[in-house]
Amino acid sequence: MRRMNGLAVMAVVLMMGFSGGSAAAKDTIKIGAFFDLSGPAAFIGTPTKLVADMVVDKINKEGGVNGTPIELIVGDTEGDPAKAVNIAKKFIYKDKVAAIIGPTRTGTGMAVKKIIHGGRVPAFMTVGGDPVIMGGEKLGPFDWVFKSPQRSSVAVKRLYMYLKDKGLTKIALLTASDGFGKDGVRWLTTLAPEFGIEVIAQEAFGPTDTDMTAQLTNAKNAGPQALVVWTIGPAGSIVSKNKAQLGIDLPLFQCHGLPDPKYIELAGKASEGDRMPATKLMVADALPDSDPQKPVIKEFIRLYTDVYGYDKQFPINTHSGYAWDAIMIVADAMKKAGVKADDLRSAIEQTKGYVGVSGVYNLTPEDHNGLDVDSMVIVQVRDGKFVMAD
Amino acid sequence: MSGFQDLLQFVFAGITSGAIYALIALGFCVVHNTIGIVNFAQVDFVSLGGMFLFSGLFWSGLPMVVALPCAVAAVTLVGIVVERLGVRPSRSQNHLVLIFLTIGISIILRGGMKLIWGKNRMAVPPLAGEEPLRIAGAAILPQAVAILVITTLAIGLLVFFFRGTRLGLCMRAVASNQTAAAVVGIPVGRVKAASFALAGGLGGLAGVLVTPITTLSYDVGVLLGLKGFAAAILGGFGSFPGAVLGGLLLGLLESLSAGYWSSAYKDVSAFVVLLLVLFVRPKGLLGK
Repeated sequence: MRRMNGLAVMAVVLMMGFSGGSAAAKDTIKIGAFFDLSGPAAFIGTPTKLVADMVVDKINKEGGVNGTPIELIVGDTEGDPAKAVNIAKKFIYKDKVAAIIGPTRTGTGMAVKKIIHGGRVPAFMTVGGDPVIMGGEKLGPFDWVFKSPQRSSVAVKRLYMYLKDKGLTKIALLTASDGFGKDGVRWLTTLAPEFGIEVIAQEAFGPTDTDMTAQLTNAKNAGPQALVVWTIGPAGSIVSKNKAQLGIDLPLFQCHGLPDPKYIELAGKASEGDRMPATKLMVADALPDSDPQKPVIKEFIRLYTDVYGYDKQFPINTHSGYAWDAIMIVADAMKKAGVKADDLRSAIEQTKGYVGVSGVYNLTPEDHNGLDVDSMVIVQVRDGKFVMAD
Repeated sequence: MSGFQDLLQFVFAGITSGAIYALIALGFCVVHNTIGIVNFAQVDFVSLGGMFLFSGLFWSGLPMVVALPCAVAAVTLVGIVVERLGVRPSRSQNHLVLIFLTIGISIILRGGMKLIWGKNRMAVPPLAGEEPLRIAGAAILPQAVAILVITTLAIGLLVFFFRGTRLGLCMRAVASNQTAAAVVGIPVGRVKAASFALAGGLGGLAGVLVTPITTLSYDVGVLLGLKGFAAAILGGFGSFPGAVLGGLLLGLLESLSAGYWSSAYKDVSAFVVLLLVLFVRPKGLLGK
């Protein structure tokens, strides 16, 4: 009997193989999605994956890509560049995906950049750092790589516009020693003169450090008007707590990676008054009705909280919308140009005026992100909540 | 004056990190002294301690005085379960096998924590209040002082336990020669279970004390474990006073080089000193 079953299965498989060689490939459009589902950035990667599931569901319910549903193939990078490279290769050469979404962090993004270029599959990353979409000898070509979160340089510009506006021109930097922090330092120091801002102290800390009072003491002694911190994860909250502990009475500014209810939870009362650049998602209710993003953001929040209930485990934060925008742009491009790699790539590159959760995207061959300073607002912690900063 | 105040602040920063490293190093040393291996699951006992405290406080609504001992007791229990179900069935005395087993157990524990408590970071309230103590203008968290005091107390108790009590002596006997210990009538199985219970208890204690400063997540122990391990080696692996000395020294090296040299290279300077010490004294500062 068992043998018969085996034979039957084989017959079915063979039949499928003969009848549907091309039809099977048309059944679904495969998109590979890999994020940090475990490891130190799992708290970013996991909700990103949930949003990816949500948006693919939405697209498929609305008829998929011209009638063909999207199939998401998920991988876990574990925050490990070597694992990310393996998964990217699997996506490209085994699963033969039409496009790739992810990974989560700058380090893993840089590790797969070359593989993606060699495999000629468009990848829309959700990483924070800019090097993935920067060219040049050292960083390699970025023809096939796009990213949906704002560039660090855009976040820095938005922050500096605000600082200049407030007359805070002497700043001290405290940055993480990882890839994201170093990317931040590069832009913070090179863009400062453009805004008439002077960086008078630079301190670094490890992303898993537990005490930053030594760095804060040195930063304070330099006599700045404001502290600017560039890191993601709990280290940012620890800086805020340590600042309160030392009684340093200076305004604290964080980067665009930290607007997250968790930040307030971890830093407690100390976070009161801290300001940071964020996507408009963080202050959806405060947006004017004339803002073109408002309906998209409202729809996103409705699906995220009311329909899928993700907010119980992962309250909406500034990262939440990035996977939505990445997949939406790729799906829109597929609707226009199909799934052939070259056509899809140039269709993504020509995306203009896509209104997303994180901003209005206008991509060009030089700019594979497409967001500018107007996609960000400065938010402030007030009474344990994020509100628009004055 | 302000120079002195800065120095004091750097020292306090070093003590805060150092106390955390020391407490985690102590956990490594206990298992080393009782079973003779490096227990890699020790770091997950630390995370578990924080997790149980969090659940006790926020899921069951227990007050701190009840939740804290409950959390430590729960991790102690986990330690016993780990020994019964994870280590004992291997029936192995080969250290390499046992060490690899603890790595496997560590991965399982972390997976379990991820499923139960999720992957997000959590905040645990401190035992000793949030208001920093101010001494000559420099500030230190009362929690850091509490960690140091409790660590010192724990060392006193451990030394007494291993030198003065029957069970402690049995543990040392089993660690040094299992067969001989069995021959003279020591119940090796039960003693080993007790060793893991002790390791779990210490790890849990470290967890409930450390996570209010570091914030809590399922992998917080692993991230702190590396520094704790380095501290244990610096002090002399297996030596209790060495764990404290190593932890504090590592913390102070980090904060002083961040304060007076470069914060970007503080880990480099700390680990260069660690290497230099090991070149001169391969057994660590207080190693035997």
